[in-house]
Amino acid sequence: MDCRESTSHILNYQRGRLGPKQEEDLRTHLARCSSCSRSEAVERTLNDLLERRLPQYPAPIALKLRLAAQWPSPTVVKLSWWERWGRSWAPAGAVALLVLLAIPLYYQALSFRQAGGAARMVTEAVNDHLRILQSGHPLEVESGNFHQVKPWFAGKLDFAPAVLFLGDQEFPLRGGSIGYFLDRKAAVFTYGYRLHVISLLVFRADSLPWPAGDTGESGKVRAHERTARGFNVILWRDGELGYALVSDADMPGIRRLAAKLGAAS
Amino acid sequence: MVLAKGSELRGVLGREALAYADALYNLARYLTGNDADAEDLVQETYALALRAAGQFASGTNLKAWLFRILRNAFISGYRRQRRNPTVGGLDTTDPHGQEAAPGEWPRDDMELNQMRSVVAGDIEKALMSLSDEARTVVLMDLEGFTDAEAAQVLDCAVGTVKSRLARARATLRLLLRDYAR
Repeated sequence: MDCRESTSHILNYQRGRLGPKQEEDLRTHLARCSSCSRSEAVERTLNDLLERRLPQYPAPIALKLRLAAQWPSPTVVKLSWWERWGRSWAPAGAVALLVLLAIPLYYQALSFRQAGGAARMVTEAVNDHLRILQSGHPLEVESGNFHQVKPWFAGKLDFAPAVLFLGDQEFPLRGGSIGYFLDRKAAVFTYGYRLHVISLLVFRADSLPWPAGDTGESGKVRAHERTARGFNVILWRDGELGYALVSDADMPGIRRLAAKLGAAS
Repeated sequence: MVLAKGSELRGVLGREALAYADALYNLARYLTGNDADAEDLVQETYALALRAAGQFASGTNLKAWLFRILRNAFISGYRRQRRNPTVGGLDTTDPHGQEAAPGEWPRDDMELNQMRSVVAGDIEKALMSLSDEARTVVLMDLEGFTDAEAAQVLDCAVGTVKSRLARARATLRLLLRDYAR
């Protein structure tokens, strides 16, 4: 690789978008070319200034409310037979209640078989991430200090979320909250990455339809990478716990965080 | 209970589209230079997206689609009648303009440290000095768009995105040099 090629690849190298061969060639070139090595340091400094110091302007709440009103939720229609059926069951309310409770469970099981459990898990992870983003107060505990975030979960979950990655300069830990992943509680850790938010969901892994095949290494675990609706998702299982990383950030970036989490969890 | 036919797509799309309100507003704020116009531009973007919801191909990049709508709305409507025509003076995309040659500054560690000392207000001022196109390409890069995705949004070749970004960043470095001294 020559200096001209190196210059044209530096930004994509810093974004983790080069293939393994190109990345290796560039590393080799940077190690022996002081001029390109300086250019790389300069670009990194400019990235840092833009990502950390350029003021960000989030949309005002009033605008978000106007947009939500402008873009309506799906209209819900009641079925007339259901109303009649419901009334006819009034004397046996307790039995009806049991049936109603059973329907979602049955429907969920059916949907796993029909649509593919893995796809359902990815959909759920993306929906959870969207709920976190849309929530007015996405972080129930805000902190840059991991030792404040992790103990906060004590007593709020029926498992201990095994996450040992403290966050770093590239992926600062912004806080945590309690969420749900399908039918179970989840610990939600929120990391920053450039201008993006990455959600990490930690939940009990049992009885879930984990995807097979299409795996890659993330630290010491095998991870499943998927893309859905413009979001990148990495799912993995380590012992009794399941992990889902979701963000609209680029997959190489999320993969790096997964590696740090997989290596530390 | 069932979803009413016809509104399902728009409802589902809307819920996801609203998650990008902050990113879209940030770009709109840097394009228009003020809050009122940024709000108008984002609202217009969502109105256009709502109207075109039926044309959105499921499985494609919703964020890129919305950014493209915002960018087109800015170009076709807003830019002609915006309140502050002075925003965006230095056009780094003009081949005859005063472009910065990449790598001119910083030259040594001392100058690199000077660059690191630049404050938020100066970085914003430098970014606002770029042309609309240059500012857009820098902000899209920060948002994590790949060159190919940015090319789709900006309706140009991938090579054009790369060269615009390189020139814009070189110009930013030179502008930051003046603030750092």
